[in-house]
Formats: sequence, C-alpha cells, structure tokens
Amino acid sequence: MSWKLFWLLVEAARLTVLLSAGAIAIGFLIACLVCAGMLSHNRVARGAGRLFVSFFRGTPLLVQLLLIYYLLPSIGLDVPSEVAAITGMALCTAAYQAEIMRGGLGAVPSGLLEAAEMTGMSAAQTFRRIRLPIAFKLTLPALVSEAIMMLKSSSLVSVVGVIELTRMAQDLAASTYRPLELYAAAGLIYLVINIVVALLGTGLEARLRWGRI
Amino acid sequence: MGADMSFDLGLILSYLPRILEGLGVTLMLWVIGSALGLAVGFAVAVGRRYGPAPLGWLLRGIVEVIRGTPFLVQVFLLYYGGPFIGLRLENIPAGILALAIYAAAYYSELWRAGFDAIPKGHLEAADCVGFTEWQTLRRIILPEMTVLVLPSMVNMTILILKETAILSIISLPELTLSVSAIGTQHYAFVESFTVLALLYWALVEICGALGRRAEARLSKYRFAT
Amino acid sequence: MFLKSILAAALAASVGTAALAEDVLDKVKAAGVLTVGTETAFAPFDFIDAGEHVGLNVDLFDEIGKELGVKIEWVTLPWDGVLPGLESGKFDMVAGPATITQARMERYRFSSPVAEATVALLKQAGDDSVTEPDQISGMAVGSGKATAQLAQLQEYAATLPSPPSEIKEYVSFNEAYADLAAGRIVAVANSYPNIAYVAQQRPETFALVEPPFGVKTYFGFPGRKDPEYKTLMDAIDAAILKMKADGRLGEMQKKWFGVTFDTPDQVTEAAF
Repeated sequence: MSWKLFWLLVEAARLTVLLSAGAIAIGFLIACLVCAGMLSHNRVARGAGRLFVSFFRGTPLLVQLLLIYYLLPSIGLDVPSEVAAITGMALCTAAYQAEIMRGGLGAVPSGLLEAAEMTGMSAAQTFRRIRLPIAFKLTLPALVSEAIMMLKSSSLVSVVGVIELTRMAQDLAASTYRPLELYAAAGLIYLVINIVVALLGTGLEARLRWGRI
Repeated sequence: MGADMSFDLGLILSYLPRILEGLGVTLMLWVIGSALGLAVGFAVAVGRRYGPAPLGWLLRGIVEVIRGTPFLVQVFLLYYGGPFIGLRLENIPAGILALAIYAAAYYSELWRAGFDAIPKGHLEAADCVGFTEWQTLRRIILPEMTVLVLPSMVNMTILILKETAILSIISLPELTLSVSAIGTQHYAFVESFTVLALLYWALVEICGALGRRAEARLSKYRFAT
Repeated sequence: MFLKSILAAALAASVGTAALAEDVLDKVKAAGVLTVGTETAFAPFDFIDAGEHVGLNVDLFDEIGKELGVKIEWVTLPWDGVLPGLESGKFDMVAGPATITQARMERYRFSSPVAEATVALLKQAGDDSVTEPDQISGMAVGSGKATAQLAQLQEYAATLPSPPSEIKEYVSFNEAYADLAAGRIVAVANSYPNIAYVAQQRPETFALVEPPFGVKTYFGFPGRKDPEYKTLMDAIDAAILKMKADGRLGEMQKKWFGVTFDTPDQVTEAAF
C-alpha cells in the first residue's frame, strides 16, 4: 500500500476524531441533564431520564442514525449529514455517560458526605466540593472506555453520508482492490488513536491523586 | 412534504413473516455468537491467568487489538480481506465468527475481573477443607465469580445484540437488512426504521429483565465485600 | 355530501400548500448551490479514484452547474439511502444514475437519459462455466440492494428452467464485485456500461458475459414530481439535451465508457 493511500486514511481519521470528540463533548452535556433527571425527585423528570437511557442504550446506533437522518425531515427538521452523525452519536453516548455518572455519584461513600455536612458545608457545597470531584475521579476509567467505544462507533456514520476513516478505507479498497491492506491499515489507525486516548486517560487519572478513597 | 410520509402500519404487518425471519437470523447470530464468545473468552481468561507468560502477552495483545478497533472494520477485514489469505467464509459463518471473536475479547476481560475479585481466603478455606482443585473451581470460583460478573455480562450481551445490526452491511439477512429492505421496496422508510428501533428495544429490555431475574436467583452465592 | 366537502377542503389545502411552496429552481439559484445525492460505488458514473470523487456524473454535473450558473454540492450515501434521502428533502435531485423503470416513473420525475442501462452479467475472468446468461442456473449470483438491476435479475431468474441457487443483495456493487472476485458468487448483474468499465479496468479478474440478458433500458437522473420541482427538472433536461446536441455528452460517454450511446430525448414508456 502506497503512502498516498495511507495518507488519505489519516486525513479521513481526522474527521473520525473530530466527530467523536464533538459527540462525546455534546453527549457529556446532555448526559448531565439526563443524569440530573434520573436523580431528581420529580417523577416526570425521573421517568423521562430513564426512558431516554433505555431507548438509546436499547437500540443499535446504526438504527438511531437512520432514524435521525430520514425521520426528522418528515417532521420538518432538516439535518445535514454531519449534523445527523454528531447528533446520533451524541444522544447514544449521552445515555451511556448518564448511567456512568449516576453510578459514580451513587458510589461516593456516604461517610464522606456526612463528614462534609458536619463541617458545616451547605448541600450545594458538599455536592460541588466533595461528591462531584470524587464521582468524577471514580468514573474516569469508565468515561475513557466510553470515549473509545464512541471512536469505534463513528465507523457507522457513513450510512448517513459522512466519509470518515472506515468509509474511506472501503472506497479505497474498491478502487485499488486491496481490501486486506486497507482495512488492516484502518484498524491500525483506530488502534493508535484509541491507545492515545487510553494513555491520556491514565495520565489524567494519575494527576487526580487527590480524592483517593 | 410532497412525498407521502404518513405511517403505514398495515404494510409492516403484511410483511410479518419476513420480519420474523430476519428476527430469527438475528437471534441465531446473537445466541451462537455470544455463547461461543463466552466460552472462548473464559478460555482466554484462564490462559492469561494460569498459562505461561508469553501466552499471556500474546492473548493480551490480541484482546487489546480487538477492543481497540471497530467491529465493522473487523467484519470487513474478515469477509473481504479473508479470501486473499485463503479464508473464504460465507456471510453467516463469517458473521458468527466475527461476532464470537469480538465478544470473546470483551467477555475475557469480564471473566478476568471475576477471577481477580474472589478473595484468596475463600480459596485457602477450600484448600483447608480438602477440596480438590476441580472442586474449588466448580463449587467456589465459578459460582462466586458468575454472580459477581453477571450484571456486566448481561450488559455485554446486550452490546453484542446491537452489534449484530452491523452485519447487515455484509448482506447478512438479519433483522436490520430485512426490515430496511421492506422500507426501500415500498418507500416506507419511516415505518421500517421505527419498527426496527422498537424491535431491538424490546429485545434489549427482555434480555435485561432476564438478567435481573438470574441475578436474583444467584444471589445466594454473593459474599459480603 | 359531507365526504365530498371534506375532500374538497383537503384538495384546496393541498393546492394551497403547493402554491405556497417555493420554486426549487429559484431557491437553488438564489443559494448558488445545487445539492445532488448519489452513491460513490457505481463506476464509471460515480466512484472514488485514489480518494477523489470522479466519473461521468461529476463531469456532467459540472457542465450542468455551468449551464444553471450554480455550484454542485455532493451528498454521498449508500444506494438504498439515496432515494429515501431525495424523498426526505436531503438534496434537490439524485445523480446515481437510476435505471428509468415503470415503477420508478410513477414515483419520480426522470431527467433525459444519459446512457443505456441494459443489464448484463459480469463473471470471473477465465470462468468457462458461465458463457451464456442462462448458465447461472443453480449458481449463486448477486446484485446491488434496492436497484433496478437486481429487480431485472430476479425477473430473469424466474424465467429460467432452474433458478440460481441464491441471489445475493449487496449494499453496493463494489461489494458484489469483491465477492465475485472472492468466488462466493459466479456472476454480478449490473448495467452494461458499468460492468464493461469494470471488466476493462481489471481484465485479469473480471470478464463480461455477452449478450446482455435484460431488456433495453436507459439511465436518467431522478428528481421529485412535486410541482415546485418542475422548473428545476425542466432546466436539467434542457441542459442535458443541449449537451447532447453540441456533442459534450457524447464526448463524456466516449471518455468514460469508451463508446457513445444512442439515447432518446425522453423516456415516456419504460420497457421494464
């Protein structure tokens, strides 16, 4: 396989990284809302949060992408390919991230929260200074795995017309007739990206030595 | 909208046999793929724990490569790249094999976590009362480990179900392919994608409920931590 | 009576919305961009050569763009997503091209034909077991999902004394070609210009089975039938016919197919 082909794959991988990073970031914001809903005392908010998580974890991303791309226009919302791809990925990862957050917040030892209360912190202070940072630290490994999952899932967005790494490999395999090399090279690029993400995660974890419990 | 996009449930119902056929293929892929994945994953976990160090490194490398690359790329590599190295599989065996390998990598990590979570004391106690190694494995390790890893196993099995949809891309006539084909044939895209989402959702919820029941039944093996 | 008045009201409402809908050609010209949906696994019309989208469609739409004074923006989807994309308004029209069939003409407005689309078979080079189309009896064959070529293959298979053992449907023709090369199927049914191009590009791997088995059909670009699309599709037809008259279309056919096709100005009665 020539360097030119490999370079084309690397170029396409940039879109893969951009899409995934965008989806993970937007998904994180949505996940905060969904998680707040699930933990809320309001029954409607709780139900809505759970329904969201159940649906987006219960259906394949492939089907979600198709629904967003072809169904939304029928109710008057036109979404271009890239937007549909990011939206689908963001909603899907939001469901997983919300579950991770809920687990993390629930796993903060109650003794710590009681201690904080005893020192006279308000509920908001306790949440912001104790519960949230500890939950973040606890869930970091799971959030990193979720980011890696999302990078891999981005390989599906070609069904809504985005030409990212996998699709580029597919197109090049068809025109050069070298599927073995091209798919192996694409796999290698995903692997390198994911190793970098995993290393960044480990690095961040090491720096968050505070809050060790 | 000029094109008629109203919901036509009757059309979908008239294709019920074809949808059920696709559902059958999906279930078959899911069950065989996960079962093989569970077994191979267990073997990999045992190999990494008890095997010689080089075998451990090799298995770890393979597991990391599979977990670090998209399932779709693995499927393409196996199905379209395979024939170039003499591995020419039809789409159903190729689909099952790809699914089993992918599942095995993830399951092996769960089994490994399960092995690690069993307190040494339990094994020593078993040793003291004169259990053979086989007895320890069957009576202590397996039940205790199963109950520990069951929730994550159920989650993983649900992920595997959703990955089967990707096999539609190698023309494997599973649920996604058969239902979307009906949509294309009759220009009923909205109906087909909606039905598809609902069917997967139902399957996932059923699987989750079964998992929770199994967890409740196995709870007697749960030890205090 | 009651029913009649409801019908009348519904009719009035639909006429009302149609009149309100903005003319698509005006919209395209105002934006300066014509958005065209296609798939890029259909050489030599649309394909990826070393990372670049090239083919007859790219050349042809460049010229159409010049005629209309607009830029062309491509949206590429898997083929089974292209017509749904047109219906849900993802793009103004489809390149493809698509075989002009009776069934599709009921649903879409087709442009003037740009090439012949008659279906033939592609086989592995040196495969002596398939020298005539009817020798696919009992064998596994393939075609593209949701294509007219697949429909014609299915119809043809039904006329054979013993049908093919399996007709596989692929997400794109590229996958079907790959499976043919891998030996999972013995033949791929696709339109003559497409497989002639593939056989010519990779003579060591593929060969054409003569003669074509399908009835004579043509390729055109599908658009919407809705009234607000009429002026756009009329303008596309005018541009294609102008290129046909001044020889540009013939040159492009020569460049991409190696031959020129004698196409009618408009298909009113499709043979399939």
